[in-house]
Amino acid sequence: MKIVTKAFLRYLLKRRSLSILQLLGIACGVAAVIGMGLSAQSALSSFSKAVEFLRGISTHLIERPAGPIDEGVLAKLVQDNSVDFFAPVIDRRVRLADSEAIRVLGIDPFLDRNIRPEISRAYFAERHQDTKEDPFSFFTDERSVLIDSNLAAQLKLQPGSRLETSQGAFNVTGTFPNPSGEPLIIMDILNAQKIFDLKGSVDRIDLIVNDEAVFRSRWEHGFRIESKRQRQESLTALLYAFKLNLQALSLLALFVGTFLIYNTAMFAVVSRRRDAGVLRSLGAQRYEIVAAFLAEIFLFGILGGALGAVFGHILSRFLTEIVGSTISTLYFFLKPSPQPWSLLTLAAGIAFGCIASLLGAVSPLIELILIEPVKAIRGRVAYRGGTRKAGKIALIGIAILCAAAVFLAFSFYHVYVGYAGTFIFLLGVSLFTGFTVMSLAPALRWLFSRVGGIQGKLAVANIRKNMGRTAVAIAAFMVALSMSIGLGSMIESFRHSLIWWMNGQLKGELYVSTKGDTEVPEDFYQELKGMPGIGGVDTYRNVQITYRGTPVYITAINASILQRFTQFGWVSGGNENWEPVKQGSVIVSESFSRRFNVKKGDTVTVGGIEGAVQFPVTAIFYDYTTEHGLIMMDRSTYIRHFKDRTINSLGVFVDPKYPDREKLIAEVKKRARGRNLPVATKGELHNTILSVFDNTFAVTRSMRVLAIIVAFFGIAGALMTLFVERRREFGIYRALGFSVRQIAGMTLFEGIGMGLVSFLMSTGVGTALALILIKVINLRSFNWTIFYHFTFDPYLIAAITAIAASVGASIYPIWKVYRTYPQIQIREE
Amino acid sequence: MVFLVMQPVIRVTDLWKYYSDDEQGEPALRGTNLEVAAGDIVALFGKSGSGKTTLLNLLAGLDRPTRGRIEIEGQDLEALGERGRTRFRRNRLGFVFQFFNLLPTLTAFENVFLSLELAGRHPDHAAARTALASVGLTGKEDRYPHELSGGEQQRVAIARALVKKPSITLADEPTGNLDTHTGTHILDLLVDQCRQTQTTLIMVSHAMITCQYAKRILQMEDGVVMEDRSCEASGP
Amino acid sequence: MNSKKQKDNPEEPLRRTPNALRRTDFSIITIYDIRYTIYEKVLSRILVLLILTVFVCTASASGADWRQAIGERAWSFPRDHGSHPEYRTEWWYFTGNLSDKSGNRYGYQLTFFRHGIEKMPKDPGNPWSIRDIYLAHFTVTDAAGKRFWYSERTSRMGPGLAFSDTKGLNVWLLNWSARMIQNVIYLSARQKNLEINLELVPQKPPVLHGQKGLSKKGPGEGQSSYYYSFTDLRTTGTIRTPLSKQPIHVKGISWFDQEFGSNQLSTDQAGWDWFSLHLSDGRDLMLYFLRRKDGTMEQASSGTIVEKNGTSRHLRLSDISVDILGKWKSPKSNGTYPARWRIRVPSARIDLTISPYVPDQELITEESSGITYWEGAIGGSGISMERNVTCEGYVELTGYAGSIGGIF
Repeated sequence: MKIVTKAFLRYLLKRRSLSILQLLGIACGVAAVIGMGLSAQSALSSFSKAVEFLRGISTHLIERPAGPIDEGVLAKLVQDNSVDFFAPVIDRRVRLADSEAIRVLGIDPFLDRNIRPEISRAYFAERHQDTKEDPFSFFTDERSVLIDSNLAAQLKLQPGSRLETSQGAFNVTGTFPNPSGEPLIIMDILNAQKIFDLKGSVDRIDLIVNDEAVFRSRWEHGFRIESKRQRQESLTALLYAFKLNLQALSLLALFVGTFLIYNTAMFAVVSRRRDAGVLRSLGAQRYEIVAAFLAEIFLFGILGGALGAVFGHILSRFLTEIVGSTISTLYFFLKPSPQPWSLLTLAAGIAFGCIASLLGAVSPLIELILIEPVKAIRGRVAYRGGTRKAGKIALIGIAILCAAAVFLAFSFYHVYVGYAGTFIFLLGVSLFTGFTVMSLAPALRWLFSRVGGIQGKLAVANIRKNMGRTAVAIAAFMVALSMSIGLGSMIESFRHSLIWWMNGQLKGELYVSTKGDTEVPEDFYQELKGMPGIGGVDTYRNVQITYRGTPVYITAINASILQRFTQFGWVSGGNENWEPVKQGSVIVSESFSRRFNVKKGDTVTVGGIEGAVQFPVTAIFYDYTTEHGLIMMDRSTYIRHFKDRTINSLGVFVDPKYPDREKLIAEVKKRARGRNLPVATKGELHNTILSVFDNTFAVTRSMRVLAIIVAFFGIAGALMTLFVERRREFGIYRALGFSVRQIAGMTLFEGIGMGLVSFLMSTGVGTALALILIKVINLRSFNWTIFYHFTFDPYLIAAITAIAASVGASIYPIWKVYRTYPQIQIREE
Repeated sequence: MVFLVMQPVIRVTDLWKYYSDDEQGEPALRGTNLEVAAGDIVALFGKSGSGKTTLLNLLAGLDRPTRGRIEIEGQDLEALGERGRTRFRRNRLGFVFQFFNLLPTLTAFENVFLSLELAGRHPDHAAARTALASVGLTGKEDRYPHELSGGEQQRVAIARALVKKPSITLADEPTGNLDTHTGTHILDLLVDQCRQTQTTLIMVSHAMITCQYAKRILQMEDGVVMEDRSCEASGP
Repeated sequence: MNSKKQKDNPEEPLRRTPNALRRTDFSIITIYDIRYTIYEKVLSRILVLLILTVFVCTASASGADWRQAIGERAWSFPRDHGSHPEYRTEWWYFTGNLSDKSGNRYGYQLTFFRHGIEKMPKDPGNPWSIRDIYLAHFTVTDAAGKRFWYSERTSRMGPGLAFSDTKGLNVWLLNWSARMIQNVIYLSARQKNLEINLELVPQKPPVLHGQKGLSKKGPGEGQSSYYYSFTDLRTTGTIRTPLSKQPIHVKGISWFDQEFGSNQLSTDQAGWDWFSLHLSDGRDLMLYFLRRKDGTMEQASSGTIVEKNGTSRHLRLSDISVDILGKWKSPKSNGTYPARWRIRVPSARIDLTISPYVPDQELITEESSGITYWEGAIGGSGISMERNVTCEGYVELTGYAGSIGGIF
C-alpha cells in the first residue's frame, strides 16, 4: 500500500472512537434502508406467497358479483368440458381470543386435491401415520379443523388441542405446512356451511379451465370470472398504497442516511486537509491524494455498509412484525416471515454504503481537489467566507425549493413525483442551514452567554466558525426532526379528521357485530326494528367488488335511517343527498371519486347478478375506511341488483324521544349476546377504529424513531469532529485559565446550540412537510382529504428529542475532554 | 582554466502577490526581485506579515504569483504548469516547516520514506534509514511524531526534506517552535546537511542565531526583499 | 406356480402348500373378494382411512346397520345393475380392449367404487354430509403410441358431484360415468386430454358367481357378498388421448363386474395376479393367483371359463398352469413384474401366450397411499379347442413393487 494511503487510513485506527462513531452512523443509515426494504419485501413476498398458496394451481375463479354463490352451480360445472377441475371454497374469517382475524377456508378435501394438493396431501399423510385416532373426524366432527403448522407453533397447538375463536372452539385434528405468511384454518365445507350459516352456497369456486373463451362465454351472465392474472393484479392493487408508503419510508431512511454519510465524508476531508496540504508540498499529485481519500471513503462504505446490512437484517425482523400487523389490521391477516439472511443483503448493504459514501463525498472531494496547499498547510481551516458564502448557498437553496414546488405541483402525474418533490424540498431547506446559523448566531450568543457565560458564548462562536461541519450536522438533524414533526402533525391531523368523520357518520347508540365476519341474521334485524323505542336500525353490508379491474367496495345501507340519524361529511350539499339514494342512486366516497375521476352526476357501471348495472352518482362524501373507493347504496337497491341479503352489522339508533334509553340499550345488548353476536357501543366502536388507526401508523412511527437515531449519530459525529479538530484549541483555553468543566460546558453548549438551531428550523420545515404530506402525498396515495389540524405534541416531542439527542451526543466528547485533560496541550501532535 | 559563469539557481523578477482576487488591498509582495546562487545558504529576515512565507510558498510553487516571474534552475515555474510544479516539488525541492508538518499517522521512517516514494525513486529503505541516521535518529525510526520531541520531529522533517537530495531546500522558521538549545542543534544539522548535499538553502527566520549559519542575509520589508542587512540590526 | 417343475408336475404346489388341500369349494367370488381387498390398498389413502375408520372404530357401533349378504338373492336386472346402498361397499368395474380402423390397439379401465361411511348421514338435508365415498380409477393404454395414462378420483355425493342410482346402472363421479339405457351401457370419462365415450352391448347374460351370485368368504354369517359379471361386452365409441388430440373411433370388447357386500376381509397376502381374457373363438377366460407372503400359492387361486354360449365352468388351481416368460422392471418403482406368460388350461384345451401392449402400465398412486400396482391391456395368441386363436384382455399384478406404503 502506498504510504499516502496508509497515512490516511491510519487515522481510522488512531481515532478509533470517532471512526466507530462514523462507522455506526453509516451503518445506521444503511440499516434503516436495508431494514425497511427487507421488511417491505418480506411483507409483499409473503403476501404474494399467501395469494399463490391460496390460489393453488387454479387458473380461474368464479363467484357472484356480490355475496355467496349457490352450490347448484357445481353440478353444472361437472358437465362443462371447458373445466378440467374445480373446487368450491368458503372463504371467511374468525377471530382468535387475541382478536386476530384468521382466514378460514371451508373446502371439500376430495375436490380440493386438484387445486391445492399440498393441504390435503399433507393432512392425510400425517393422519395415516397415526391411525389410532379417528381419522375421519375431520368430516364427522363439526368443530374439526386443520391449522397451518406456523399457526400451530405460534399458538402451541397440536392435534387434539382446542382453538377458541369468535365462532366457538375448534378441535384441531391436524396441521399442514404453509409456505405463505398468512395463517390459515381449514375445515370441511359441510362444517363451514354450518358455522357460517351458508347452507346451499359457497363463497367461490376455484377452477382449472382449459378453454377460457368458451368458459367465459358460458358463465358470463350473473357471475364474475377472475383469472389468475386478474386476481394477482387486483390483490396487488389492494396493497398498492401501502407499498408506496413503505417505499417512501425506505427513501426517507435513505435520505437521512446519505446526509449522515455526507457528514462523515466531510469530516474525513476536513481532518485530512492539512495532511493533504503537506503531501502536496512534498510533491504528491492530486490524484494520489484523491485515491487515498477514496480508499478511506470506500473502506467506510464497505465496513459501514456490511455492518449496516447486519443491523438492517436484525431491524427487518422487528419491522416485519410491525408491517405485518399493519397489513393485518388494514387488509387481511398476514404474518410475514422475515427474509432469511443472504449474501445479497450484505452486497446491497455494501453497495448502498459505498454509493452513499461516494455521493456524500463528492462535494468534500471537490473541495479537496481544489484545495490550495498553502491554505491547507496553515493547519486548521476556519470556515471562510462566512455570511456571504452561507448566503450564496441559501440562494441555491431557493432555486432548489422552486424545483421542489414544480415537482409538487406536478404530483398529480404520479405520487412518485410528489415524493421526489418532498425530498427536493428537504434538500432545498437544508441548504438554508448555514444562513440560518448566521442569522440566529447573535440571538443564540445572547442567550447562551446569559445561561452559560463565556463558554456559552464561545460555543456559539465555534458553531459559527466551524460551519463547514456544523451546518451539515445541523441540516441532517433538522431533516430528521422535521420528518418527526411532519409525520407527527400529519398523523395528528389525520386522526382529527377521522374523529370528525366518525362523529358524523357513526352516530348509532349500538353497533351489532362489527368484529370479524360475523353476519347478522335478518330476523334479528327485524326483531330489533320492532322493539319499542328504537328509532331506526341501519343494516350494513360491505362487499368487495371489482371496478375497472381494481378492487373497490360496495356498501349497502339504509338510506332513510342514515338520513335521519347521521351527518355525513359531504363534499358538497347536506343530508338531502340521501333522497336520490332511496330511489336507487348511489353516493361514492371521495377516494372513489378521485381515483376514478367520477363526479357528482356521473354514472358508475357495476356488474350485478343480472349483468352490468348503471348507477347515477348523486353525491360524494368524505370517507377514511378504504383508500380503494366505496360505492354506497340503499339496501333495497343492493338486494335488487345483487340478490344478496347478507347483513354484516347493524347500527342501532334509539328514538331521541324514548324515555328509558339506558334500559333499551341494555335490552338490545342482551338480545344480541343471546345470539352470540358481538355488540359495541358508539364509544367502543370509535375507540376500536382509533386503535386500528394508531396501529396503522406503527411503521411510520418506528421510522420516525429510526430517523432520530440516525440523526443522533450525525450530531454526535459532528461534535466529535469539532472536538478532535480543536484539541489544540482546548489546550489554549486551558492556558487561558479555562477549567476542564468550562471546556466540557462549552462542548455541551455546542451540542445544545446545534440541537436548538436544528429544532428551530424544523418547526417551520416540519410544518411545511406536514402540509406537503397531507395535501400532496396522502391525497395522491390514498385519494382522501385530510384537514390540517395543529397540535402541539409533535413539536414538543421534537424539542425534547433535539435537546436529548444533542446532550446525549455531547456526552462522549465531554468524557473525552475529562479523560484527555492532562494531555491537552498547545503543542501540535 | 575556465571560469564558469554561475547561473543563479533562483531568479525572481518583479514578483507581486495579492491575496484578494481583485488586486485590491495590500499586496503581500510588491514587485520584489531576487537571485540566489547554487549552494548558497540564505537567511531571510523580516517582520511578521512582511511577506516571507508568501515568498517561500511562491518559490515552492505551492502558490501562484499575481504578477512576475520565478525561474528555478532556469525554468519558469509558471510555465511548468501544475503537474510540472508538483514534479519539481517532489524531485528538486525540500521543505522544512515551523510546525514540522509531519504526517501524524506515519512513523518517522515512513514520513521520510514517503518523500522518496513520492519522488518516484526506487523504494530505497536504506536511503531513508541513512537519512534518519544522519540527523541522529537511529533507533527512533518506528516512532510516531507524537512520540518524538519537537527537536526530533524537526530532525525527521529535515531528513524528509533532504533524503531526496533536492537542489533547493526551503525552511520556514525551522527553529521557530523550538527552544534555543534545540534550535541551534537543528540549524547545525540543517546547514551541515545542506552543505554536504550541496543544496541551496533559504531559511526564513526571526532568530539572530541564524546569521551565524547564513552565507548571505536578506531582509524582507513590506513585500520587497532587500540585501545585506547586518544581523545585529534585525534583532527583535 | 410358474417353474418348469410345476409345469411338469402339477401336484407340486399342492404338496408345497398342504393347506390348500382343505380348500375345495372356493369360488370366483372369493377371488374377487380378495382382489377387492387388494384394491382397497391401491385406492387413495383416504379410502384406506375411511375403511379403517369404519372397520376399526365404527364396526362395532354401526356395522350392524349395514345389511349383510346372507342367503340367496333374488336377482332382478336391470335393477341389480344399480346401487345397493344398504350394503356398505359396492363397485362397478370395466376393462376393455379396443382398436381403431388402422388396427392400433387401445385398452381402458374405468372403475367406480362406492363405500358407505355412515348409513344415516349426520345431516341428511345437506348434500355435503357424507353417507358414501365414491372413488374411481381411469386408465387408457395406447399400444401403438407405447403410452399409458392413469388418473384417480374421490368424492362424496355432494351437490351433484357423485351418484349411484338404485334403479339401474347409473353411476358417476364428476364427469366420469357409466349409465345403462335399455340394453346398452354408456361409459364416459374425461381427464384433461384423456377421454373415452363408449357404448357397451352385452353379448352374453350376466354370469352369477358362487351360489346364484352369493359368494361366501368365511365361516361366519354375512361373510359373503353378491357378485356377477358381464364377460363379453361388444364395445364401440371414441377415445381421445393426449397423443391423438382428436377423438378416434374404436371398437372392441369389454368386461364388467359388479359386487356389493358389507363384510370384512383378511389382507395378509403378498399380492396377486389376475387375468381376464377374451378369446377370438368367443370363449372368455378368467384366472386368479394369490401369492402369500411366505412365497407359497394360496389355494384360492383359480379361474373360470365362460363358453361362447354363456355357460361357465369353474377352474381349480390344479387345472391351470402358467409360465412366466419375461419380466419387466419399473424404472419408477423398481418393482419387477412378470411381463409375458404362457397359460395352459388342459381341461379347457387352452394354450395361450400373452404379453402386454405396453410394458409400462404401472399405476403409481402418488396422491393416495403410494401403493403401486400394474394393471394393463394384454394380447396374445395360442390354441383353443385345437384351433388357433388370438386373445386379448387385462392383467392385474399387485405386490411386486414392494411395500412402499410408508413413503410419506
